[in-house]
Amino acid sequence: MRPEIKEYNMDWMLSSIMMAASKTADGSEKEYLRLLEYIPYFSGILDPIKKEGKPGITFLKMFSDYLENIVTAHDKGKKVAMTTFCFSPSILYSLGIVPVTLEVLSTFAALMWKRGTADYLDFCTELGFTETACSAQRGSLGAYLAGLGAKIDMVVCDTPGVCDTNANAFTFAASYLDKPYYQLNYPQTLTDGRTSTYHLDDYRGMIEFLEKTTGKKLDLDHLRGILEEIKIQDQLVADLDDMHRLIPTPLPVLYNLFIYAGRFMFAGYPQYTKLLTEMIEASNERAKAGESGLRSGKEKLRAFMCYIDHYSMDLKFFDWMDRKGIAHLGGILSRTFRDNSSYLAQLPGSGYAIDTTSFESLINSVAQMNARMPMIRSIRGPYDRPGMALDETLALLKMFNADCVIYNGTPGCRNTWGFLKPFSMELEKYGYPTHIMNTDAFDERVESWEVSQERLNEFFKIRGLL
Amino acid sequence: MMEVLYDAATRIRSDRVNTWKENGGRVVGYTCSYVPSEVFHASGILPYRIRGIETESMEIADAYFGPYICTFPKCVLQLAGKGKYNFLDGAIITPGCDSMRRLDECWRKAGDTIPGIVPPFFYYFDVPHKSTGHGSRWFRQEIVNLIAALEQQFGVKVTDEKLHDSIRLYNKGRALLKELEDLRAKDVVTISGTDAFAVAMAGTAMPRDEYTKHLENLVDELKKKKSKSKDTRKRIMIIGSISDDLSLVQLVEESGQAVVVAENLCFGVRDEGNVVDESGDPVDALGKAYLGESTCPRMYGKYKERLATLKSIIERSRVDAVVMQNIRFCDLHGSENGLFERDLEKEGIPCIRLEREYGPLVETGRLRMRIDAFFERLYSHPSRQETVHDMEAV
Repeated sequence: MRPEIKEYNMDWMLSSIMMAASKTADGSEKEYLRLLEYIPYFSGILDPIKKEGKPGITFLKMFSDYLENIVTAHDKGKKVAMTTFCFSPSILYSLGIVPVTLEVLSTFAALMWKRGTADYLDFCTELGFTETACSAQRGSLGAYLAGLGAKIDMVVCDTPGVCDTNANAFTFAASYLDKPYYQLNYPQTLTDGRTSTYHLDDYRGMIEFLEKTTGKKLDLDHLRGILEEIKIQDQLVADLDDMHRLIPTPLPVLYNLFIYAGRFMFAGYPQYTKLLTEMIEASNERAKAGESGLRSGKEKLRAFMCYIDHYSMDLKFFDWMDRKGIAHLGGILSRTFRDNSSYLAQLPGSGYAIDTTSFESLINSVAQMNARMPMIRSIRGPYDRPGMALDETLALLKMFNADCVIYNGTPGCRNTWGFLKPFSMELEKYGYPTHIMNTDAFDERVESWEVSQERLNEFFKIRGLL
Repeated sequence: MMEVLYDAATRIRSDRVNTWKENGGRVVGYTCSYVPSEVFHASGILPYRIRGIETESMEIADAYFGPYICTFPKCVLQLAGKGKYNFLDGAIITPGCDSMRRLDECWRKAGDTIPGIVPPFFYYFDVPHKSTGHGSRWFRQEIVNLIAALEQQFGVKVTDEKLHDSIRLYNKGRALLKELEDLRAKDVVTISGTDAFAVAMAGTAMPRDEYTKHLENLVDELKKKKSKSKDTRKRIMIIGSISDDLSLVQLVEESGQAVVVAENLCFGVRDEGNVVDESGDPVDALGKAYLGESTCPRMYGKYKERLATLKSIIERSRVDAVVMQNIRFCDLHGSENGLFERDLEKEGIPCIRLEREYGPLVETGRLRMRIDAFFERLYSHPSRQETVHDMEAV
């Protein structure tokens, strides 16, 4: 790793930047415009987010809070858990544990820094971690393995049985750093009683582990409060989904990033509720006026991201969609799979409910919710309903009136690359032109954004979509 | 005797499989060492571990699997697509890893365009990632479900008595293989690593009764074999990703500088797993033995246990150095090899990590060059055994 990279901790650097960014709305417009001249390398990400108005500012503040929590955790006497994006942080918050969600940090480092996370990615490889592993974790894992981040007290993940490369990153980290480790492990089925019991038993085991590691008892009232807040948030996301169905959609491209990043950081916390509420308010106004959320005001096409977005520097992918007049209909990351979601009408019995009436129902709710987090639900199989990833994608495509599908991921994603071709063949059969991006969402060294953009342009041109 | 074992170890459709099929026998393939073979044996079915050898091209596999996938399941799909596995009456897919899990979708989907390549019984056997408590209960139920599915599909009845008989027979094989391992651990090694690996692999692809007899004869023969006075070859252990290809072991041994005295690969002796308890409920016993030890890195969070296992094999077989290999895109073994290398080198055990593509003789030149360079390192320093001996003398 380059010596200059070792000067500061990764999370501290991100925190400093975001703290400054979150304060930009506190000054005058003139001050802000002057500031942009001094931050040429950050203006590309700051400005588009700030231009989203209230939700943009709230998002910046929320991310700043999240990072500040990490860098100040030990000073405040809190434990720090390394975890993954598809793990609901609610249980950690209920035990006063601060989550370090590797993928969130990798994403924003890739979006913000010209160097991306290359040094941290490569550092993992130097330690013996495979270079073929997923960059979503590696992008920030390298920093923590190098001691360039908050000290990790424990490692908790929930991807064994769902995504081996993800699970492997966390087990490697636990072994390398010699930290306590718990894996929530998922069966290949989802909808039967036996599977639900397994989810619950495993989750109970995790609570025991967390209590033992922190020396604290789970604060049930706190957890109940969080779940009640998640109930509200799920409803707000469902409202946003409903507005997404409008043509043109009043939701700007960036809202999708806000929805899932907010959930991964602060599910069950008021910051996220505020963000969602502001997004609804802004979208409502546009919806009433029949306006598109795109900056050009003209929606030419509606694209569904069947996996994840592309996090090239300065939000270039999101900006490209916006410029092209392509509405971003979200993907698996921006969906909740709550039992009252509209799209679950076509996928009965596969969502989760929230019941906070008793201890048992509380724990069961959070366990079943966790089993339906993005990726955990969508790509674990499931083999009690072969084709569920396809079924669920088709349901969403129909509901949101999508014109096409775009796949983006990482070369480290063994799971999706293992079924992507049959999956895309089926989507094409159903009449949805499908483009597979051969990029790394978190590492532009694999394919530069310029090349990715050229290929996207080709796809839309050749398929006669734009 | 060795010819029969080699035939089973090196050919997809060996003479033994042909004879079994000609006699009206059924064969069910499986893809992972967590599948209890005894269940099939007790059903009168030949359990057959599905392999990737004999692959000559990859056009079918590439049409279904993406580019960033381990070549082992790709080879399996390619062979299935070419009809090489048409003799299977059934196939069991397990979530050994993401790539192997997705073999399920890709094989089924390929069956839409290439009729007849999906066996009539295509079954998903779910193996949890933890071996105690609810993990153990889940696995037990999976075995019960598998038995029920076999009974329904093939019209057989799997009784406890039959299961006990099968367990006893398989345990006999396990005991013989343990004897073979003990022979390999002796000062003077009387069987090459290549032969020993072939012997172990043959057990996954031929009728068990016959295999056990051959194994018994071989072990007797080896016990009687006169040994050379001194064996100066370096003693090597091979670990890592799935490998059913003898050429990798041959490559290590062909220069005559080394002999492979142990492996920890999911084919080979490890495939045989633990001794199964012969008393009590046979399903309980199978569940406990097969899921019991977390020998595969898919059992997350058990690195220390696996390191301890490796160290005990290194001690027992007096291993001088470890060859760690992983198939490209096998992150589980690849990353764990990184940790093993760190911890074993600290203890003075030389290690080499090789990332490779799966496939017979693929990349032989590159691998040979790296292995030769590794041997140079080994021969330019006193071996670990010599060092220990010298220290004892002091």
